[in-house]
Order: sequence, then structure tokens, then C-alpha cells
Amino acid sequence: MATQPEKPDVPDEKLVRRAQRGDMVAFEVLVGRHRDKIYARAFSMMRNEDEAVDLSQEAWVKGWQRLKQFQGESSFVTWMTRIVINLCLDQLRKQKRQRAESIEHLEEELGGVERQMPTVTVNPTAGLERTELRARIDRALNLLSYEHRTVLILHEFEDLEYKEIAKRMQCSIGTVMSRLFYARRKMANLMASYKREELS
Amino acid sequence: MNLEQQLKLQAWVDGELPEAEARQMAAFVQGQSEAQTLVGELRITKGFLAGNEPEAKLPESGDFYWSKIQRAIEQEEKVAARAPGASWTFAWRRLMAPISGVALIAFLSVLSFNVFRQQSVDDGANLLVEVENLSEDIGSISYRSQSENMFVVYLYKKDVQEAENDPIAEPVDDTFLQ
Repeated sequence: MATQPEKPDVPDEKLVRRAQRGDMVAFEVLVGRHRDKIYARAFSMMRNEDEAVDLSQEAWVKGWQRLKQFQGESSFVTWMTRIVINLCLDQLRKQKRQRAESIEHLEEELGGVERQMPTVTVNPTAGLERTELRARIDRALNLLSYEHRTVLILHEFEDLEYKEIAKRMQCSIGTVMSRLFYARRKMANLMASYKREELS
Repeated sequence: MNLEQQLKLQAWVDGELPEAEARQMAAFVQGQSEAQTLVGELRITKGFLAGNEPEAKLPESGDFYWSKIQRAIEQEEKVAARAPGASWTFAWRRLMAPISGVALIAFLSVLSFNVFRQQSVDDGANLLVEVENLSEDIGSISYRSQSENMFVVYLYKKDVQEAENDPIAEPVDDTFLQ
């Protein structure tokens, strides 16, 4: 379909009900509305544009197929975000199985490095504009291992509880807690180092 | 502070501790400067992350993106439309496979039972076998070995053999039954 049918006044709930009855145009409007958010979630987890595009598209296809199961307990975009997260987690698990675990990675998993880091006492983001702050967060996220990044995204951006993260990542609550702890420590120190870079 | 205490502290900051434990942790933090520093860092990190998720824009046009989704949906629906027949066949095969297996086993069991029964009948018959020779010119001598499962009949011309008084010198025919 060449032209995007914009329906700014129609709420998501109404479009979802129409799409549930097989209205593809209504679904197209929903995709147009939320494609960036769904893509952004896939990209934040995968850190790769092509994979993020593919997985977000797959999420929309699955969303259409499972639309009848959507009961409206959460918002449509939250429901779609959960679908794309699950697809990303599956993909990351497949990739993890394929790559050999390095000693550095194991060290990071055990928090060997993060535990030695100095505690950050001053907010390293104070006075930053939002765009710059987001750019720095993005830069720091890029340097985290996928386990640390994923747990941080699910907790801080998706507001999931430890138990729910453990279920989705197929690991124990203890593992979630330690990963989150090390991810935060590393994040705080990276942001502090960016602040030092700026000042020097 | 050990790792266990640090993780518990984090759980307290995240509001994941039960009420009683949360009260204990609050008291613990009050008297521990190291714990207070760590709590400070955890709160700073939570604070700058909240609501500041990096944004990413789709690196291709919306129309192109949608066209790929639409094509994938239509393709899946075509597969699904064919699927009822295919799944019916598949279900039928799944049902028939064990039934066929059972039928084959039953058939082989009956067959082997009949073969062995026939063999035992044959064995019994072998024990009772007699060679009836109605010819006046030809004589016969039979030999049976049960261990070898073998039955041999020698036929000879009576006039020649009896004249020479050597019945097995020139057998005219022999038959092996095994």
C-alpha cells in the first residue's frame, strides 16, 4: 500500500478492535504509529540496525496473528513491546549459544571488574540536556554485555520486576539481581567518565 | 559490605523487599556510611535512566517497512489457508502410524505362529512319514536325519539291483527333503 492512511483521532483501542475483525488498514495505522518505538526497543537490545528491523517486523507479523488474544489488559504498544522483547531474547540466546564465552566476558558476568569500580557520589549527568543525556546513555549501553544491557533495559525502561525479568531471561532471580547491580555500577562509572572527558 | 548485602541494598532501593526486611534495611543503611554511598549511586543511576531511554528511528521508509510486513502476513495466511488440509493429513498420518505399527506386529506374530505351528505339524508328519512305493520295478530306501532336518529317498531298479544284491550301487533318483 503506497499511501499511509493517517487516522490521528482514532484511539489505539478502536483500531485494535477493527484489526481484530481483520481490518488490515487499521493495523497499518497502528504499525505507522508505533513502528519507531518497537524498532527502538529491538535496537536497544540488539545494537544492530538490520537485526532490529527484521525482529521488529517479525514482531508486527506475530502481533497480527495473535491479535485476537489481545484482551486489552495493557496498552497495545506495551503488548507489542513484550512481543518484540521476547523475539530479541530468543535471538540473543541463539547468538550466545553460537559464540564462545571469553574470559573477559566471564569476568564481567561475575562482576570481577564492576566490584572494583569507585562509587559515584556526584550525579555525572547534572546539567545535561536531554538529547545529550540520551546520547551518553546510548553510548554507555553499547559498552555493556548483552546480559547486563538486557536486564537494565527490562528493569529501568520496561519497569519489570525481578521475578518477571528472571522468567523472561530464563535465569534465577539472584542472577537478575547481580546482573542488574553490575550493570548499574558500570553504567554509573561510564557516565562519570564521560563527564570527566567533557571537563578535560 | 559483601555482595549479598549489596544486592539486598539494591532490592531495597528497587522496592523489591518485603515490608519487614525493608524496615531492617532502612535501619542498617542509617548506621553504615558505605551503604549510604552505594544507595546514593544506585539512586543517581536510576534517576538519570528514568524516562531517558535512547530513541532510535527506523532506518527505512514507513511504506517500505509496512510493505514487508504486509507481504509476510499475506504469505503466512496463505500457508495457514493450506494448513487445514495439510494438518488433517498430518493428523491422520500421526494417528495411522502407531496403528500401522501395531497391525504389522500383529500380522508378523500371527504369521510366525502359523509357520511354527505348520513346522511342528510337519515335524510330526516327518516322524510318521512312510514312502509308499506302488511300482513293482522300482524299489526305495529312505533315510531321515532329525538333527539335520533331512529326508533322503533312494530309488533303484529292482531287477538290476536285486540281481547284483547291492541296492545302492546305481540309484536312479534321489530326493532331498529339508
